[in-house]
Amino acid sequence: MSDMDRDSRGGGRSGGAKREGGDKAGGRRGFFRRRRVCKFCVEKIDYINYKDVKMLAPFIPERGKIQPRRISGVCATHQRALQTAIKRARQIALVPYVTD
Amino acid sequence: MSTRRHMSNVRQYELVYITPAETTEEALAELHQQVVAVVDRFGGTIEKTESWGRRRLTYEIAGQREGVYVLELINGPAALTAELDRRLRVLDIVIRHMIVRVDEELAIADRARTRRKTAMAARRVRRGLPPEPTESERQRRAEEDDDADGGMEQMFRGGDR
Repeated sequence: MSDMDRDSRGGGRSGGAKREGGDKAGGRRGFFRRRRVCKFCVEKIDYINYKDVKMLAPFIPERGKIQPRRISGVCATHQRALQTAIKRARQIALVPYVTD
Repeated sequence: MSTRRHMSNVRQYELVYITPAETTEEALAELHQQVVAVVDRFGGTIEKTESWGRRRLTYEIAGQREGVYVLELINGPAALTAELDRRLRVLDIVIRHMIVRVDEELAIADRARTRRKTAMAARRVRRGLPPEPTESERQRRAEEDDDADGGMEQMFRGGDR
């Protein structure tokens, strides 16, 4: 949740996403910049409710998989909570397991 | 840990069940009565019942594409959920159900909220401000946020072309 956490996470394969902050390289897609902040920390959401499909939807891409946090920028704590919420929502058919 | 033991064994659960879309009101009422009966037998209470009505299922369950959702908030011992689970599993009218324990999660969320509140109040007091943000302050904050975002957006578009 701290700054340190956010910085140290950039390693490995996620390097590409991180570089976007350095502008220019972004080229045509410049305005598509990704801010690497946790949505739940910013909006101070303490409880990720599995019944709230609107809240979960941005983290469920087309295929129905759970978006990895290297892409969404969610912090570890909230990704864990998000994961259980999505899995619960799947059980009661609010959210798909897979979509082909 | 010790506090938890003192809190006796009453826990809070959320029960969600889904019945086929064509289920009649009477059948739903009867089903609800069955749930109430089980909860009563174990000395639990139903805090609230929420009917979400007909909803699309994101995948097919028992040949159904739509279902009627009902949510019950139940306070009671753990043995209650086991029995409830067993009963609902047997009923044909319930095509899917789920029981989730929520008291701990809600307590954690609540603690986080109060911790943040007190931390903010302490920070403000240290700076010689009243503990709670005043209405005018809040408004100003909202306006500033808007400005910052707008500015950023502009910069980007500028750099792009």
